[in-house]
Amino acid sequence: MAAESPILSLRSLAKSVPGGRVLFEGLDLDLAAGEFVAVMGESGVGKSTLLNLIAGLDGADAGQVAIDGVGLETLDDDARTGLRRDRIGFVFQAFHILPHLTLGQNVALPLVLQRAPGAEALARAGDMLDAVGLPGRAGDFPHQLSGGEMQRVAIARALAHRPGLILADEPTGNLDPETAGRVLELFAAQVRQSGAAALLVTHSDVAAAAADRVLTLTRTGLVERHGG
Amino acid sequence: MAADRPRALAARWMILGEWRAHPMRAVTAAVAIAVGVALGLAVHLVNASALNEFSQAVSTVNGDAELQVRGVSPAGFDEALYPTLARLPGVAATSPVVELEAGAKGADGPVTLIGLDVLRAAHVTPSLLGRPSGADAAHGPTSEAAFDDNAVLLSRAALDALQVKPGDRLDLTAAGRTVPLAVAGTLPGVAEGQQIAVMDIAAAQWRFGQIGKLQRIDLRLEQGADAGRVRAAIARVLPADAQLVSRESEARRSDALSRAYRVNLDMLALMALLTGGFLVYSAQSLAVARRRAQFALLRVLGVRRRALLGQVLAEGAVVGLAGGVAGLGLGLALASGVLALLGGDLGGGYFGGVEPELVFAPGAALVFLVLGLLTAMGGSLIPAREAARAQPAVALKNVGDSVDPRVAPRIWPSLLLLAVGAAAAFAPAVGGIPLFGYGAMALLLAGGVAAMPWIARTMLTPLQRVRVAGAAVDLAFKRLWGAPSQAAVALCGIVASTSLMVAMAVMVSSFRGSVDDWLGQVLADDLYVRAEASGGGFDPATQAALARTPGVARMVFQTSTSLRLSPDQPPLAVLIRPFDARRMPMIDSATPPAGATPVWVSEPAAWLYGWKPGQSITLPISGQAAPFFVAGVWRDYSNQHGAVSLDSADYTRLTGDAFRAGAAVELAPGAKPETVIAALRARMPPGLSVDFAEPKTLRAFALRLFDRSFAVTYGLEAIAILVGLAGVAATISAQTLARTKEFGMLRHLGVTRSQIVAMLATEGAVLGAVGVLAGIGLGLVMSQVLIHVVNPQSFHWTMETQLPWTLLASVAAALVAAAAGTALLAGRRALSADAVRAVREDW
Amino acid sequence: MGRLFAILAALLVLASPAATQTGPVLPLYPQVRPGRVLTFPADHGAHPEFRTEWWYVTGWLKTEGGQDLGFQVTFFRSRPSVDQANPSAFAAKQILFAHAALSDPKLGKLLHDQRMARAGFGLAEAAVGDANLIIDDWTMRRAADGRFLTKVGGKAFTLDLAFRPTQPPLAQGEGGYSRKGPQPSQASHYYSLPQMVVSGTVTRGGKAVRVTGSAWLDREWSSTLLDPKAVGWDWVGLNLDDGGALMAFQVRDAAGKALWAGGSLRGKDGAVTRFTPDMVRFGAERLWRSPRTGGRYPVERSLSVRLPQGERRWMLKPLFDDQELDSRTAGGPIYWEGAVTTQGGRGYLELTGYVSPMKL
Repeated sequence: MAAESPILSLRSLAKSVPGGRVLFEGLDLDLAAGEFVAVMGESGVGKSTLLNLIAGLDGADAGQVAIDGVGLETLDDDARTGLRRDRIGFVFQAFHILPHLTLGQNVALPLVLQRAPGAEALARAGDMLDAVGLPGRAGDFPHQLSGGEMQRVAIARALAHRPGLILADEPTGNLDPETAGRVLELFAAQVRQSGAAALLVTHSDVAAAAADRVLTLTRTGLVERHGG
Repeated sequence: MAADRPRALAARWMILGEWRAHPMRAVTAAVAIAVGVALGLAVHLVNASALNEFSQAVSTVNGDAELQVRGVSPAGFDEALYPTLARLPGVAATSPVVELEAGAKGADGPVTLIGLDVLRAAHVTPSLLGRPSGADAAHGPTSEAAFDDNAVLLSRAALDALQVKPGDRLDLTAAGRTVPLAVAGTLPGVAEGQQIAVMDIAAAQWRFGQIGKLQRIDLRLEQGADAGRVRAAIARVLPADAQLVSRESEARRSDALSRAYRVNLDMLALMALLTGGFLVYSAQSLAVARRRAQFALLRVLGVRRRALLGQVLAEGAVVGLAGGVAGLGLGLALASGVLALLGGDLGGGYFGGVEPELVFAPGAALVFLVLGLLTAMGGSLIPAREAARAQPAVALKNVGDSVDPRVAPRIWPSLLLLAVGAAAAFAPAVGGIPLFGYGAMALLLAGGVAAMPWIARTMLTPLQRVRVAGAAVDLAFKRLWGAPSQAAVALCGIVASTSLMVAMAVMVSSFRGSVDDWLGQVLADDLYVRAEASGGGFDPATQAALARTPGVARMVFQTSTSLRLSPDQPPLAVLIRPFDARRMPMIDSATPPAGATPVWVSEPAAWLYGWKPGQSITLPISGQAAPFFVAGVWRDYSNQHGAVSLDSADYTRLTGDAFRAGAAVELAPGAKPETVIAALRARMPPGLSVDFAEPKTLRAFALRLFDRSFAVTYGLEAIAILVGLAGVAATISAQTLARTKEFGMLRHLGVTRSQIVAMLATEGAVLGAVGVLAGIGLGLVMSQVLIHVVNPQSFHWTMETQLPWTLLASVAAALVAAAAGTALLAGRRALSADAVRAVREDW
Repeated sequence: MGRLFAILAALLVLASPAATQTGPVLPLYPQVRPGRVLTFPADHGAHPEFRTEWWYVTGWLKTEGGQDLGFQVTFFRSRPSVDQANPSAFAAKQILFAHAALSDPKLGKLLHDQRMARAGFGLAEAAVGDANLIIDDWTMRRAADGRFLTKVGGKAFTLDLAFRPTQPPLAQGEGGYSRKGPQPSQASHYYSLPQMVVSGTVTRGGKAVRVTGSAWLDREWSSTLLDPKAVGWDWVGLNLDDGGALMAFQVRDAAGKALWAGGSLRGKDGAVTRFTPDMVRFGAERLWRSPRTGGRYPVERSLSVRLPQGERRWMLKPLFDDQELDSRTAGGPIYWEGAVTTQGGRGYLELTGYVSPMKL
């Protein structure tokens, strides 16, 4: 396992907000397949910005982001978009389930974007919905769902195209604690089952506890948190 | 390409999903395009059908002759030309023709009377050969009926118009003579609707006083003859009072007759399509703004910028295609309805007596479909670029208008458009069509719409400082001021349709006012007498007798004829009356030198032929080209293709023709019109039927004619307003519904329902008012282009601006009310949704 | 003889317009009377006061290649009954027709063309005093050397021929007064020029071929021609190899019986035998049915003439069967006009009234 190259590799990453305030500098991180890491920190420290940098949605001031050994800074927007489409899965705080697509279509969307045939993509979406505890609901529309169910759909969508890296931004932020617990449990189980690397950004200790490692984002980088 | 299909599947899911969720928005946009395409196609089809019918009519009267020599005036030319032409090498056959306008008592419209040598016509214009009825039928077209100087053959339409059947007797009047004739048969080769009477050429010459004269000679060239050389040879032997006309130049002439009018209507229809384009823009902009988060998600999930651009453009394309196809059907239906209702010239009066059948033009339909498609895609382009350009990370977090309210909207792109538009207005016409004028209008419209964010901000800034009672109104002003681009999106439909409508309304009212003033000047006398068109008119003795009628202070006799100066142009009208500066709305004049024959030319004639006061010109008035001095230019709205006015005495001296078809009567003080009419009637020679008219009836008739010819323009205006209103309603209601969360939040903060409704109504009214004011301003500018560029370049006449205040005010009020009303209705709907749930959804 | 154009003429002549208020001035036609002496060249020219008149040339041609062709060139004048008071130059006071046909056995049918115009403007004229006829580009005139020159034709063919008389004019009937029916007024002034020598060119498809041959000119003018009971007629004119000339005709009624007949034989010695109606008998040897019109024509026939020296019989055989001419498109009749051979001679046979009766 150690010989395996990391899926995600961050080197000396630095980023400031437009006003000039430095969020972080010299940030390093390696994430291998099967690793599940949580990043914690107060509001405004740049947790979401870090995720945007990793996803290629924002550019770093200095340092490198490499996915599967490919440096994002060497790619143009189209290439970064392609990498994101093929290798990364997302789970958002606000779910972002498209209201006018069926659950099946929502989940199948990443596969379809990868040019998978529609029927195949929908079949896989059905399997994923089964796996997240929404069997037989592929034809329903999102407005009938509760928040927890929405996030289950989002998890299914994040994993549908078997990405190497899963990025989650406060996935339980909009959920009540009881639901949040069940969704986290499901998320962790699905991530582990998929064998992908996962990076979870949260300010919730409860959420972070689901991960294998917990890191704290500071101005100087990621710090391992012990005994949490 | 096959690999791309699954990704197209994603786009399809997105587009279909959007339309499933908001079908009415897509439908509204498609309807706007459909209306534009339908109007364009309908106007085009009606014009094309009418033109087709008209040229068919021309070619039937001409019997499909390859070439024709025609007299430049109805008086014709010397028949000696006939053998000269017949002997020219390259000429295979010639057919001499006497052609007169004829009428009969109780007839429905004039009939073209053609005197034909059937033996000659058989080789040149066989469609004019008749079928004798009864016992003669067996002998074919060259039987004795052809030489009988009492026999006349009538087309079906002529039989109907004259209310006779074969075998009947008929008193036909032409060139001032009434001749009893026998209807000897029919003309099966003549196209439907053409009122044509054919008789023997010798009989026509003799009976209708045309001895030695022909009005035309039809020619057929030898196969393989060099047409150019033969034409040149013909041109060399032509006298000044005859002119060579080909089938093509006839077509050009009939085209020139109404081209400016048709192009104007086509352009108006295209303007409607343009308004549709702005509505698509509104709809797409709103859809994109609303779906900003969705597009951001797609970008995060790995959709490329270009793919997103493609998706939004594809939405526009599908809307355009659906609207376009629906528009084609609608346009066809509209065209046939209009043809049935108004006739082929859409009320323009250009194709008198022609009842066209709808001719479908697949090429034109395709062009309009493509135009609709392009308009819709053009309207989608800016929203699509906006969608593709948005930062996905920002857009995912920020819902709503991400524009910083402090940033002032840019004005220079719109100023640039307006400047280019203004410059284009000064360019000359292209081939008689004011293409640059229309380009200027389109650019002004685009510039005006582009200026809307800035205008909205500028107009709303003073309102910001006004302290108003009530949080609702305050909130409304703040929001409008803070999100000017959203306001502009809602406004562009209003502005486009209002400005177009105002421009048209101002132009029409200016035109109508100018025509009314002009009528007042040219119809200054108390009474007008007109002899029946084909009756020949009053001879000098009758004129003298009539002028002595008690109660008549002064009687001025006048007549008119026509002159073809160019085979491609419709004929010039020649008005003959004693010169009287009081009855001529002079624009410009020059004093003729002693001995010169003065002629006064109309504004269109001056424009068309480049005549200026003081210039010496030649006109073939008497058969030979004679010199005339241009003594003045007068305003004329009655002859679009030009008119010249000659003094009565000069005309009689030049032509020897002292007959006059009409007279203007000035009554003696205290004389009653009815008494004088009766007295004049009593003095009329027997057999001469006359009409009397008083200026107020003539004036009313002229204005009725005017309104009829602008009926379609009014219709197009009304549709533009309706499309604009629909756009306002759709845009405002969409924007309001998109703000459900905002209302939920306000309700949480303790704002009452009625306060929110009041806020929305205020927003709508202010928005409407801003749009209407901007639209009226822009429309006034565009109306000046119509009045000073498009009209003079198309019709060669000028007019003075007159504003239709009542119409402008009522349209403004209606638009403001509609905007406020729709905002209110949409707000009530938005408020009925669960406010709490609305807030929870995204916070 | 140009009997068939009499049909056309009659159609035009019939035009007697109903009286108008002013009262038309209708033409007065002179009667054909016996005793009038033919004078030349004046009688080669037109007699415009008569109702109808024709110059009718038929004959045989031989090309340089030795091929036999038949031809017909006719100019026809008619004076319709129109108001003579009309001062218009277009007034149809004289109408001219011309007709040309070429019989080529290789083609198996006739090539034909026609011209028709009202006289006037120098475009269509029939001169008085000598033969000089013009209808647009078609002409026939007598040159100073006595030859008749003609140029006719159209798209399919053109004829440019000269006819040199070799014998004096042959006055038909009683010194040129030729009876056509039971009434003395049913007659024409009639003379023929048989045995004319032909030279010239025939052009077909742009190719001009020199030809020689022999022709027969018929000149006739009249104001009343046919009996009301007549439905058609048969006519034959033969140039005999020995220099003789034979002409015979019969006017038929609806039953096919001869209402009137006549003709003449001029021997090689110049002696003329005039035929009375009882001397001439036409027999039908073979019928040909037209596939186009269904008309049944006796294209092969016998002509028996009871001469003082005994009955003589000529067998007439057509150059080919289909020499039918349909001139209905130009307002004319359907008839058969063809080149025929006989023992010791050849000429032209004309058969009219076989499709529908000729109504006059």
